[in-house]
Amino acid sequence: MKDLLINLDRRIIFIFIAVGVILPALTTFPLPIKPTANVRAVYDTIEDVAAKNGTVLISFDYGPGSMPEIQPMTLAVLRHCFRRNVKVVGMCLWPTAVGLVQQALETTSREFDATYGEDYVFLGFKTGATSLVINMGRDFHATFPQDIQGNNTADMAVTRSINGLKDFDYVICLCAGNTPDGVWIPYGQERYKFKFGIGCTAVMAPDQFPYLQSGQMNGLIGGLAGAAEYEKLIETPGTATEGMRPQSVVHLIIIIFILLGNTIYFLYERKKGGVR
Amino acid sequence: MLFLRRTLPLLIAFVVGTLAILIYYVPHTAAQDLEQELARWDRIVAAFALLIGIYSLMRLHLTRVKRHNAGWGYSFLVFLGFGLMMIFSIYNDGHGPFLPQVADTGPFVWMFNNVQVPADGTMFSILAFFIASAAYRTFRARTPEAAILLVSAIIVMLGRVPIGGLISEWIPWFSQWLMAVPNLAAKRGILLGVSLGAIATSLRIIFGIERSYLGGGE
Repeated sequence: MKDLLINLDRRIIFIFIAVGVILPALTTFPLPIKPTANVRAVYDTIEDVAAKNGTVLISFDYGPGSMPEIQPMTLAVLRHCFRRNVKVVGMCLWPTAVGLVQQALETTSREFDATYGEDYVFLGFKTGATSLVINMGRDFHATFPQDIQGNNTADMAVTRSINGLKDFDYVICLCAGNTPDGVWIPYGQERYKFKFGIGCTAVMAPDQFPYLQSGQMNGLIGGLAGAAEYEKLIETPGTATEGMRPQSVVHLIIIIFILLGNTIYFLYERKKGGVR
Repeated sequence: MLFLRRTLPLLIAFVVGTLAILIYYVPHTAAQDLEQELARWDRIVAAFALLIGIYSLMRLHLTRVKRHNAGWGYSFLVFLGFGLMMIFSIYNDGHGPFLPQVADTGPFVWMFNNVQVPADGTMFSILAFFIASAAYRTFRARTPEAAILLVSAIIVMLGRVPIGGLISEWIPWFSQWLMAVPNLAAKRGILLGVSLGAIATSLRIIFGIERSYLGGGE
């Protein structure tokens, strides 16, 4: 038994994780989801934007690899915006996000009868990242003269009155890379002082806390848990809420394995004085 | 030739680097206009960099196939995937390359939804399995510092999922405190160090002390 635990085949751990994902995904049991202050801040800001019939710019900077975490928050934020008649301008700093965003926009705009050009616009992807944000800051129409469908941004109701980044009531970055701290904060928010919030993968979330405390971003939706909290706030459970069951169980399994590994270490390995 | 290979690039780096730093802090319209122009140039360069990236990737895999390196068969998949997606993109569900890409139907969308999305998602999700295995084998409380890290990790792992709140309402609160206080302090320290390093490296490039970006050459 001792040897089995010390040399535990990793495939056994894999089986535990697989079962920990599959079984909770197939069953239903209620879990309490309590929105945190950081997620609520994004929600409240969109409510404020809705109150003044404003416009939100959403930068979608992710790809299929991070889709399971970010797509639910994309859907939740878009649903919130469309439900509250907030105008949405979407863009991508990652080319891989374009297809995913088009699907999300199509799904959510259909749910709320949002009209393209009047309620939302999608600009698509452009290269440059930092340079793109610098250009958008001062001259939005010169940077994006046309949207992804070839319509003039100066002619569409959503973008007609937007001259630069300052004209957006809120900028949100839903991302899986360094675009908030590498692009949007140094070249956008710091210069044009717009309200800025982000949604990111769970692994990125700890890196964002210095910017939250400094006020450079006002809200943070972190990982699938953050997306589930947002779904709770808009009272529309989606895949993030469903994903909390497998994620909770898998976290427990990993913790049990960590505790087991440490128990073995203190019982057997430490006595030997060796490090395995 | 030495002038073109070394002196001219160093001169361009010095002039453009110094200019870019200066105009960032000068609010005058002329400086701001110049910044806008430089940013536009940068975007054009970035677009060409994409082409260089594609060329570099293709050349790498072509070399692998030619030399029959280990796993060279997989390099064919790169050509297959690239070729198919390019053809489907130009085909654009029958609309051709000069109209906006069709977003909901067609072979390009099908390939994206049914090949790229599941393949990328699978690669990312495999992490959960390896993290669990690695955590079991290596996450040990060998020292007091490691023990603190381990306890913190367990609290954060529990606090970030709803089950933590079921066990005790203090777990999510403590998890949030760990993120907002000790984590923030450590991250800010790292951030300051990295930023100072980036500034130092930038200055070394601008003043021609760091020249590795020029390549090895003769």
